[in-house]
Amino acid sequence: MPRRCSRPTSVSLALLGGAVLLLGGCASAQRPDVEQVATRFTDPSGDPEARCDLLTPASLASFERSEAAPCAEAINQLPLDSGSVRSVEIWGGEAQVRLTGDTLFLTETHSGWRVTAAGCRMHADAPYDCEVEP
Amino acid sequence: MTGKRGGFLRDNGLSLAFGGLFVVTLVGQAVSGAADFNAQQIANGLEPVSMQEYVTSSSFGVDVMENWQSEYLQFFLYIFATVWLVQRGSAESKKPGDEGTESDKDQRVGPHATEDSPEWARTGGWRGLVFSRSLGLLMGALFLLTWAASSVAGWAAYNGEQLGQLEDPVSWFGYLGEADFWNRSFQNWQSEMLAVGSMTVFSVYLRQRGSPESKPVGVAHAETGETG
Repeated sequence: MPRRCSRPTSVSLALLGGAVLLLGGCASAQRPDVEQVATRFTDPSGDPEARCDLLTPASLASFERSEAAPCAEAINQLPLDSGSVRSVEIWGGEAQVRLTGDTLFLTETHSGWRVTAAGCRMHADAPYDCEVEP
Repeated sequence: MTGKRGGFLRDNGLSLAFGGLFVVTLVGQAVSGAADFNAQQIANGLEPVSMQEYVTSSSFGVDVMENWQSEYLQFFLYIFATVWLVQRGSAESKKPGDEGTESDKDQRVGPHATEDSPEWARTGGWRGLVFSRSLGLLMGALFLLTWAASSVAGWAAYNGEQLGQLEDPVSWFGYLGEADFWNRSFQNWQSEMLAVGSMTVFSVYLRQRGSPESKPVGVAHAETGETG
């Protein structure tokens, strides 16, 4: 079971500083796992079943419903752009990975990081519009 | 006058009782907060978290800190405000005419200090200056620290929620401009101001026999500064 990172409950300046370091340190420690899941999910040469296993149950169900097909059959039709990682944001049990041509959102589960949304396009002052989302 | 000394428990009953109540209510907040947090996790199709994960989360941190900062703000403001402002008839106020920091004689500092006065009250200088404002300064410092902690924990919790709603996270300065931060601050501040203002006025007309927070039962409404 992956360890979740602690987040700040500081009451003193020292602890406050420690909390900021904790946020940064925690995010750094989790960054490789988050990046790996995002790049594996968007890799078009990857095993479709394995890529589908990286979705959260809610997003998997939503995707299969919208495509009216099993995930493993539909996932290769998704217009995902694997590209290289441009930035990673990790806050608590949530993460965002920006690839060259795509943005993904992930959540931490007891089985590791899983994709909640992919194929996302930004909308000013509104949630991202995603090809796969819960 | 130090009063008749009893055993440790009796001499420190007030501090111990509120220390104990603090721990019990903090545990209550952790248990109920975790249940509420997990209900939201499940509703959002996410996994519930353990108690340890919850009490080390930014969600729990900001809920605790936003209340602590407002309590320390309340005491900081009240301690300094009651130096300069009075409320005729209130047990919480000095007598009208006594506004200000009062004379060294009244405050028993420097040459007017007694044998059992605290050392920094006797020595004067910068130590005397600091010690004579130490209560308010500590409350002010604790307010600033807990408010800063509240902003960091709130920022982390807010960004987690932003990502969960498929939106971009914000910087710490960006969070200070968000309605979430100011809503959390003001909703706590207003309740503290109401409580202090109410207590100031209620203690003019109402009594609690035996409590130093009240005037003696038979004292006139217009009498100020007496405690019973």
